[in-house]
Amino acid sequence: MEILSVSLTFFKVGIVAFGGGWSVVGLIKQEIVPHWMSADAFNSLIAIAQSTPGPIALNAATLVGWQRAGFWGALTATFSVIAFPLLAMSLALAFSKYIPLKKNLADESLRSGSIAMILMTLWTLLPRTTMPMSWIFVLASFAITAFTEFNGVWVILGAGALNMVLGALH
Amino acid sequence: MPIKAKGVSKSVPPTPWRIFLTLAKINTLTLGGGYVIVPVIENSFEKQGWITEEEFYRIFSRAQVFPGPIALSTSFLCSYRIAGAPGAIASVFGVVLPPFLALVLVGGFISLYGDTELFKRFLGGAGAVVPGLVGSMLWRTVRKRRWSVRTAIEVITLAVLLAVFPSAAFFILIGGIIALYLGRLVWKS
Repeated sequence: MEILSVSLTFFKVGIVAFGGGWSVVGLIKQEIVPHWMSADAFNSLIAIAQSTPGPIALNAATLVGWQRAGFWGALTATFSVIAFPLLAMSLALAFSKYIPLKKNLADESLRSGSIAMILMTLWTLLPRTTMPMSWIFVLASFAITAFTEFNGVWVILGAGALNMVLGALH
Repeated sequence: MPIKAKGVSKSVPPTPWRIFLTLAKINTLTLGGGYVIVPVIENSFEKQGWITEEEFYRIFSRAQVFPGPIALSTSFLCSYRIAGAPGAIASVFGVVLPPFLALVLVGGFISLYGDTELFKRFLGGAGAVVPGLVGSMLWRTVRKRRWSVRTAIEVITLAVLLAVFPSAAFFILIGGIIALYLGRLVWKS
């Protein structure tokens, strides 16, 4: 039963996974926090998903599946999140002649949708605390990745290492 | 006659197995989001004489209409183009298997060391910067887009709906994107 509900959740996520990995993270959080894990545990999970190889939505699915139902949960969740995209592409390849989709209009609509999704992701992930150290981590990582070409993966690993030494958070 | 791409170092026939190996290698070694990995895939496919840069990016732009990771949809559609359905299926495994195996290892690692104080501190620090990274993604996406009154209204309306009715996010997004598309069909600006 657990596997089925993990599978259904990530199938839904796969349907609206537009516009780069980060956009869909807010929706995943909406689906699984707080009944499957705490907000802090979710942030750690996303950090792992981003700093391991592979797309973030896929990795998040694998990790949540693993946590809920072990190896088979992980496998099911991973294939559930790509099930709809693969189906949609296969149908499009087979029937593209009959689909009168205006690509430019669809692109622009999806862009608006994905920016709204990233806003939602940001809103749901921002710390719900006034602890200054949390905000220092957030603002410093924003400044580094927004204004330099530094890869975000190193920021995640660096922040993890820093907190291991300092124990500044929690 | 096959199209000769520029800068072809070796021409290997694009069998499903070769496609799988090529993508599996890239997906094991490349860290970072989809927009980091797509140029790496392009480079590798072009070097093996499978596709031209122009054709690749034409397919890439079509791939963005589909949901799911952009690395997956681009690989899938390009592999279909160069090696048919078997190539497309091979590409899925090339994209999905390496991260899956990496995470199964990480999952095993976490169940061994996840309870130690040091590892909890590491995860705490790593998780704390995630909102900052999302913020910078938003910043870059917003700056890259050509804005108009229409697109600003679209984004603000959707974002407000998502903030007010978070539990209906899935339906707001599907309904919203379809509504925006139909709106653009009816009132062209």
